[in-house]
Amino acid sequence: MVYFSGLSDAARITFFQMMVISIIAMVIFVVGLIINFQKWGAGVTGYALEPEAGSKGSAVRFLKTWWKQVTAKSEHGHGKPILEILILDILFQRRILKRSPGRWFMHFTIFAGWMTLFAMSGMMFTVEMAEMFVELPISAEQFREFLQLPNDIFGYILLLGVLIALVRRIFVKEVRDSSITYDWVLIGVLFLVTVSGFVADGIRTGDLIWNIGMSGETARAYAPPAALFHSVISLLFCIAYIPYSKYIHVIATPLAILANKGGE
Amino acid sequence: MAKNKPSIGTKNLTAVQLMELDACTRCGECVKWCPTYAASGQKPGLAPRDKILRWKEFMNKSYGFKAKLFGPQEIPSSELEEFKDDVYGCTTCGICGTVCESGINTVELWEAMRANLVKEGLGPYGKQSMFPKLVNQYNNPYLASPEDRLKWIPDDVKIAKKANILYFGGCTAELRQTKLAVATARVLNKLGIEFTMLGEEEWCCGSAMIRTGQPHIEDIARRVAEHNVEAIKAKGATKVLYACAGCFRSSKIDWPRQLGEELPFEVIHITEFLQDLIKKGKIKWEKSINKTITYHDPCHLGRHVGVYDAPRYVLENIPGVKFVEMDRVKEFQRCCGAGGGVKAGMPELALGVAETRVEDALETQADILSSACPFCKRNLQDGADSLNKKDTPGAEKLEVEDIIVLVAEALGLEVTGD
Repeated sequence: MVYFSGLSDAARITFFQMMVISIIAMVIFVVGLIINFQKWGAGVTGYALEPEAGSKGSAVRFLKTWWKQVTAKSEHGHGKPILEILILDILFQRRILKRSPGRWFMHFTIFAGWMTLFAMSGMMFTVEMAEMFVELPISAEQFREFLQLPNDIFGYILLLGVLIALVRRIFVKEVRDSSITYDWVLIGVLFLVTVSGFVADGIRTGDLIWNIGMSGETARAYAPPAALFHSVISLLFCIAYIPYSKYIHVIATPLAILANKGGE
Repeated sequence: MAKNKPSIGTKNLTAVQLMELDACTRCGECVKWCPTYAASGQKPGLAPRDKILRWKEFMNKSYGFKAKLFGPQEIPSSELEEFKDDVYGCTTCGICGTVCESGINTVELWEAMRANLVKEGLGPYGKQSMFPKLVNQYNNPYLASPEDRLKWIPDDVKIAKKANILYFGGCTAELRQTKLAVATARVLNKLGIEFTMLGEEEWCCGSAMIRTGQPHIEDIARRVAEHNVEAIKAKGATKVLYACAGCFRSSKIDWPRQLGEELPFEVIHITEFLQDLIKKGKIKWEKSINKTITYHDPCHLGRHVGVYDAPRYVLENIPGVKFVEMDRVKEFQRCCGAGGGVKAGMPELALGVAETRVEDALETQADILSSACPFCKRNLQDGADSLNKKDTPGAEKLEVEDIIVLVAEALGLEVTGD
């Protein structure tokens, strides 16, 4: 079985390869998430309590405690409606904007670029899967072309955010001095994934900037491994690695903001 | 081979708080704003971000992926001891929570960590361990007998046996800064407000134990809350007034939590009460205070509970007062340095923070630095005295005074006491 992903007929990544990698990534992600939930679930369920003797961390306990806090009345009297928190604090990231418009721009471009590219990859995958079983009004290849422009736009948005983050971390002294491996891995991997995506696409389409000097037969030969490399590191680093790294904040931060009703 | 036991426990830390450790993006906003980090000469361990990182690492070593596979990794006791010192080097002012981009409720987190460390036998810090013992024995942290609580009351002050309104004086105003209690009582008398007090039946509000992670010791925080609430009910009060921000915060947030139920009375800060009376035209000022006054928001009145406007409204309505704001006010206020047990445990650090806050006041050219909390008043006064000794320009002229004392003066009342 073939897998399209925008490559020419001669250079397709096999469906089997991608499914294996995807499943491995998802399994690693889910296992890591459960381990984190269990770690968090080693905590108690309410104010001033103690864990029962012999009790182990429980993912269910974490989820129940979180939900209880989300739905409880704020003791400090500064709760906001959940819809407002979801839109303004989580999607729009108002708390960052209040503190630093520059850093908000950096983070928001990374967030918007990453999430949109992720969503479009998901849509592309869905169309390709659906095409195998039903007749669609649009082919996977046409859909790929349709997504080309938004993919480019959001790819550049992501790249802009990542570059700002890198420059900031390298050249702003107070940021550089306080950076630890935990921070560097996050931004380094994000940079690698973003650039590899541009390069893989550039080799495939013959883009003058991103084809890194490859054309003709060379490009045709290197396009599949470049696409495979990008797909693999995207799946492993941007999905599987989330629970084991600073990427966990993409899950924990929205949950914390919701639990604390938007924060103070 | 048997696996090690985790070096840390999770007592008092909720599942959500443990998640919050992973929600920290290390943006560094908390570091920029933390008053004790600044006053300590930027000691890295005092930075809120660093404390979160360290406890997260402790959690990972004890309960994370590797711990699951190979057993918990031992954390040296020296590391835990150092961590304890840093967690107690915090006034629990909460500015880190206000500016936290991840919305972490840091005050609750620090207090939970402290309680955890106390239960593990590591906390509290220094003299703070005396709080529960003293309150258990004397019902106040000042080694005073119950009848001493009445000594501040001048002959002219009328206190009803029972009334709808009760003034909860607080240990500090009744036993140390009695000028505050005298001013409050005389102001209420002058305004014709019938009020009662608990007198010998008033116990510590529990703040000192709760803030330092010791509320569970002999169930002290719940017991004092229960006693005070029952005593207030017995007085027939439906509104309880506070001139102490610490007692106010404890009553409003900690007592319902300790007792697991809503309080059967309204908790009101004296400035909120006065604001209401001014709006209703029920206050007739008799004297002008022709001075420039600035106002320091106590953490326990402002950021912890959200009372920002009432004290300013009262000050701006006093005839002759020119009100000016300092740098860093309201939710972004800079702490005075006294809270969270720091004044008792680390007085030098508390003084350093106070000096910075007094410098904020000096920049406004104000004659009076006012506040609405006896702890803030005491520490800011210490800060002003210290700056004065260092010949800081303006420090010798700066008065530090509580709002209620200024109100009493503007009502033509004599204010006596310490």
